[in-house]
Amino acid sequence: MANEPEQNEERAESAPPERASAASVDGPAAAPDGAAAGPPAVRIQGLWKKFGEQIAVNGIDLTLPAGRFIGLVGPNGAGKTTTLSMVTGLLRPDSGLVEIGGHDVWRDPVAVKSRIGVLPEGLRLFERLSGRELLGYIGRLRGLPGDEVDKRAGQLLDVLDLSGSQHKLVVDYSTGMRKKIGLAAALLHNPEILFLDEPFEGVDPVSAQTIRGVLERYTASGATVIFSSHVMELVESLCDWVAVMAAGRIRADGPIAQVRGAAPSLQDAFLELVGANDRGAGQSLDWLGGGGAR
Amino acid sequence: MSTESAAVAPRPAAVPSPTAVFVRLKLSLLRNGLRQSTGRTLAYIASVIVGLLFAAGAVLGLIALRGNDHVGALVVLLTGILTLGWAVMPLFFPTGDETLDPTRLVMLPLRPRPLIVSLLVASLVGIGPVVTLALITGSVIAVAHGTAATVVGVLAVVLVVLVCVSLARAVATASVRLLTSRRGRDLAVLSGLFIAIGSQGVNIAAQKLGRPDGLSVLEPLGNVLRWVPPASAVSAVEDAGHGAYGRAAAGLALTALALVLLLWWWQRTLTALMTSPDSSTLQAVEKDSARRGGNGERGLARLLPDGRTGTVMLRTLRYAWRDPKSKMAWATALGVGLLVPVVSSVQGNGSIYTAFSASALLGMQMYNQFGQDTSAFWMVASTIATPRDAYQELRARALTLAMVAVPFVTLVVVGAAAFIGPWSDFLEVYGLSLAVLGALLATGALSSALFPYSIPSEGNKNVAPGQGAIAWFSLFGGLLIGSVLCAPLLALTIWLHVAGLHHLLWLLLPVGAVYGTGIAELGLRLAAPRVARRLPEILVAVSKG
Repeated sequence: MANEPEQNEERAESAPPERASAASVDGPAAAPDGAAAGPPAVRIQGLWKKFGEQIAVNGIDLTLPAGRFIGLVGPNGAGKTTTLSMVTGLLRPDSGLVEIGGHDVWRDPVAVKSRIGVLPEGLRLFERLSGRELLGYIGRLRGLPGDEVDKRAGQLLDVLDLSGSQHKLVVDYSTGMRKKIGLAAALLHNPEILFLDEPFEGVDPVSAQTIRGVLERYTASGATVIFSSHVMELVESLCDWVAVMAAGRIRADGPIAQVRGAAPSLQDAFLELVGANDRGAGQSLDWLGGGGAR
Repeated sequence: MSTESAAVAPRPAAVPSPTAVFVRLKLSLLRNGLRQSTGRTLAYIASVIVGLLFAAGAVLGLIALRGNDHVGALVVLLTGILTLGWAVMPLFFPTGDETLDPTRLVMLPLRPRPLIVSLLVASLVGIGPVVTLALITGSVIAVAHGTAATVVGVLAVVLVVLVCVSLARAVATASVRLLTSRRGRDLAVLSGLFIAIGSQGVNIAAQKLGRPDGLSVLEPLGNVLRWVPPASAVSAVEDAGHGAYGRAAAGLALTALALVLLLWWWQRTLTALMTSPDSSTLQAVEKDSARRGGNGERGLARLLPDGRTGTVMLRTLRYAWRDPKSKMAWATALGVGLLVPVVSSVQGNGSIYTAFSASALLGMQMYNQFGQDTSAFWMVASTIATPRDAYQELRARALTLAMVAVPFVTLVVVGAAAFIGPWSDFLEVYGLSLAVLGALLATGALSSALFPYSIPSEGNKNVAPGQGAIAWFSLFGGLLIGSVLCAPLLALTIWLHVAGLHHLLWLLLPVGAVYGTGIAELGLRLAAPRVARRLPEILVAVSKG
């Protein structure tokens, strides 16, 4: 926990700076107002999950609007991955309701599964397939015609800069390449809502920029992206809506300007919300630095 | 503080011989490895005792064979097998000896020649070299007659042990890049299989040699091997006993030459390895491999049905070849399924009913289908929305299995009828085999839905810690239920035999085939809604590895 801010600064360097100016309240998505009239992208009520004695998700109520670029932020262990897994139907909640586009995730999987794309964190892909074979496999499993799958796969591989490694086994891919092929697999069936768990974790700046470009193009067409991260600068520059999670609860959610409030940056607002702002690397390490004295 | 005193100390006196350091290092590693747990200590002591007992038994056996006409060929062959063992051992157990990994020594200022000598001496410490020493000594005693032979024998023992040890070291050094790569780890997963099949080979060989005058079959092989180092050194002992000193000298010289060449090769690869950059620091110059979407596979893909069925079948087939765990499972099932009838037939107590092993072992491949996917099962889960999807998924996997299993079972049953016989039982055994296969596909599909467990992707374990009970329960329960499901057919078979209706036994083939297909279909239909309902539970269960 204590080194969290340092990590964030490190990540901030890897995030390309030029987006910062464009990251105003209205954001790149410029969601059509009509989208707000339909059902919300995600509606969560009383979501609850316990692992043994530990409460991972502690009764969440949250409504996320459609057509936005939404960031789910929180420190490590806040319950982001557990929440996203339950929302996407990969993990069964102990109690609570999850609706995607007005359809219950657990009662109406047919309507939900075809509408969402998922990039989970910490789960494997079919790594003994090549990148192209993996896309061909998942596209056909989703019921798309073979020719269409191959066409889309080719384009996605091109845009994500994976064409050169498309015949290499995914097991030999780097972290950034895995995230990109996972993203391609999640986008292949053109979902309405995309769930990405830590899509920029361990990704080099070049790949990160490629992923941002694809996601921005995708949301510009009115689709919804919901991604988790603990890199505030990234969320601030990409998202127009944010939900802050800590210790299994939602601490704040809403348009980014509203969550930021009077704080100078989302980072400050976040530290305030999770109650970690006063914990600097204060006086206890006064011997550290310079290298002169022992 | 210590740096100052080291700087003041006279250098040459302070530097201990590297050989002593390496021997001490080896002993410390051994000791510290044992200190970690009592279980490990006990296992190590047990393996020492077993190794020494085995060596003692082999030596006594060899000495008892002294004077046998064919003992010369036997000891030459034994030396050859030992050498082969030393050559392949580092490939299968790359982590067995930490001092084998020269990349750990990269930062130390050591010259190649003293380093080689030190490593070689350190390698001589251990059970392996002791057992080898005992076996070679026994071999030499078995063939040494006379003073000259004894002198040659002593030289031969030293040379053979040195060749074996330096061969293992050289192979390990040459392949260290491979062994630390993904392909190397894949290879290590398959090691258990080679051992299993190899031990059956040894079993069959032992059966043959155990017959009266069985040793004579070794002669042709022995004639070739006696000129191949290091076996040439052992045959030199025999030659010296016969007074053929020229041949003896040639045999010894060949082995000595082999030792020199091995040491030279080892030193060269070691130097190259320690002076070139580690692969992890280099941007790998990766060519996109020749896996061009596989034109051959596209041909195969065209043969498979459209939609989910063909897609899943193609993926399963690719995994059977590319995923070491799947490959291991398939190879074990195919290999052991074939070996059981072959071995029992060679041993002379064969029965055509041993052909059931083929359908039993292949049918068991249907168990824990989703565990074989590991946590990548989420990709399957996210595309299954209805019991119909789940049914198609399961059916495709069962079809893939049947595509291999039905021809293979046919082959094994035909083979068993041809080599063990009688042909009159062929149709009934074939029919029952198909029924067994169908019953196992059915129970396998159900247990995949109800009792999934994780298969760790690394190492030789096939069950994640804590899930052993589920695995055993589902496998044995499934086998039991599978045999109960076949009971009607067994009853029919017995009745036909007892009632003397032998001319109607052919009925068992069509009945068995139809029954097997029907029961498999029923199992898939029962399992499908359970899979669709339990997707998150299955994902959690298979993600522990």
